[in-house]
Amino acid sequence: MLIEARSVTKAFGAFKAVDDASVVVEEGEILGLIGPNGAGKSTFFNCLTGDLSVTSGSVHFDGIDVTRAAPEHRARLGLARTFQVPLTFESMSVLDNVTIGALLRHHNARDARTRARDVLQRVGLGPLSDAPAKSLGTPGRKRLEIARALASEPKALLLDEAMAGLTPTEVREAIELVRRIHGGGITIVIVEHIMEVIVSLARKVVVFHQGREIARGTPREVTGDPHVIAAYLGRRKVRT
Amino acid sequence: MSTRRALQLVLALIAVLVLVYPLLTSGSPVYSRLGALVLLAAIGASAWNIVGGYAGQVSVGHAVFFGFGAYSAVVVYTHLEWPPIAGAPIGMALSVLLAAVIGVPTLRLSGHYFSMATIAVAELVRVLSSTSEFLGGAQGLSGPPVPRGALDLSFISATPYYYIFLIVLAGLLGLTWWIERGRMGFYLRAIKDSERAARSLGVSAGNYKLQAYMLSAAFTSLAGSLYLTMFGFVDPESGFGILISVKMVVMAALGGAGQLLGPLIGAAILVPLEELSNSLLGGKGAGLTFVVYGAIIVIIARFLPSGLLSLVERRPTAPNSAAPKSTGKPVSGHAD
Ligand SMILES: Nc1ncnc2c1ncn2[C@@H]1O[C@H](COP(=O)(O)OP(=O)(O)O)[C@@H](O)[C@H]1O
Ligand SMILES: [Mg+2]
Repeated sequence: MLIEARSVTKAFGAFKAVDDASVVVEEGEILGLIGPNGAGKSTFFNCLTGDLSVTSGSVHFDGIDVTRAAPEHRARLGLARTFQVPLTFESMSVLDNVTIGALLRHHNARDARTRARDVLQRVGLGPLSDAPAKSLGTPGRKRLEIARALASEPKALLLDEAMAGLTPTEVREAIELVRRIHGGGITIVIVEHIMEVIVSLARKVVVFHQGREIARGTPREVTGDPHVIAAYLGRRKVRT
Repeated sequence: MSTRRALQLVLALIAVLVLVYPLLTSGSPVYSRLGALVLLAAIGASAWNIVGGYAGQVSVGHAVFFGFGAYSAVVVYTHLEWPPIAGAPIGMALSVLLAAVIGVPTLRLSGHYFSMATIAVAELVRVLSSTSEFLGGAQGLSGPPVPRGALDLSFISATPYYYIFLIVLAGLLGLTWWIERGRMGFYLRAIKDSERAARSLGVSAGNYKLQAYMLSAAFTSLAGSLYLTMFGFVDPESGFGILISVKMVVMAALGGAGQLLGPLIGAAILVPLEELSNSLLGGKGAGLTFVVYGAIIVIIARFLPSGLLSLVERRPTAPNSAAPKSTGKPVSGHAD
């Protein structure tokens, strides 16, 4: 297994945003992580990447205990991510954004730049290489974050709602992109609200609700699970 | 002629002017002195720019390094009778060390803690220096009254200082340019834009910020030592005073923080202004200097956040393709 979270708990004060979550991600798979808003998915991601330190539990990546490791250390081991709210480097061009990612494996700036151009071509941002990152809309930024992460040549890629806010066409393109990335041998964990995305990409799904895992299985199994239905319906009731 | 070509021509012209400036002003000691002062201020502001501009970690206490440099120079003369400039490496080493002591605990925290720590340390050192007999107390210390040899770097004319400062500034800007284009330059800009994103891509943000801070401290200290060779005197206020820190920030910000030539441009504007106000108002101008710098800070923050250089260097923003094509309704999802 590539990623192993054992009994991960993350508390903010008395409130447990993630409560005793144990998730294993096998090398080469696409794992879907779903759950209503506020279920703790992003918080769990942040525990995996080191953006947040766990309150208790442990995280292993590629056989190494990274529970206390800094995010940059985990990135060097091959764990890459995108952010739910994009954090692109706003003062830079699209190309420079991706160059930052490429510099992780290419110490020379010129080599990194060449590599970055390559990646931009592959994710379909080639024509926008010289545009300032701040000229992109949210969908562009999300794609740029994927490109940046890819340029760091990761073993695993964590996508936090990378397709939120995309049009149906863009979603289809993005699914294609994720497939291609996966085809290149990269393990993927994907958080997504759009069920269609999860169904078409992941064979295994974990469902979070109020910080806890409430179901796991194939997309078909979990969507039929009464706990899952209750969690989603419960949310809808709260909303209206 | 394209604007780019015109810009290059203007830059070349300025470079030539900078090189022959002392010859043009040789008749007037006031103007040759002014040239040297601009370059000295530019060294300090360019040194500040490495950590404050490129890395975006705003130090408001760089005077502490400047003072270390000035005092190291005068102390090796006073206590060891060495040429003052021999104190420069000592000041630089001490400054790098102090930068590490300040930076290691505070650069991990949000930028405000760092800024506040830098002011606090500089003010503390200023107060301590005025009570230290070794450093000459509130009276300060003086360098050699008459040059004992060429190494004392003590000249009546400002022209030699002009060229010494010019060489140091060229070296510093060369180094900065080299950093800017390499891995570290990319990483510093990334950290400035989003430290979190940078770290997610394997950037050891803490280390890079610390390196930038230490490098910046070393050159600021060198500026202090050079200051002493020219002025031959330092006291707590002229070595560690908060105005010295503020000037570095304002000069860099006015010209363009995080840009190679920003601090030099800021210095070329502010130093003559200050000299002018000093000569018009004499000693009474001291209080006014604070007011003027305060006003400049407000103006920059309000109207010119990227400095004067941003007005010239606004590059044509790429082909029209820059605009994202995001028509249609989003399917779903939440953008927090
Ligand atoms: N830094 C924080 N401090 C306090 N509460 C937080 C913090 N981050 C997230 N939370 C809370 O934790 C819960 C889970 O949030 P999150 O992980 O973002 O959910 P999801 O990504 O599944 O929508 C939410 O109730 C949220 O308000
Ligand atoms: Mg989330």
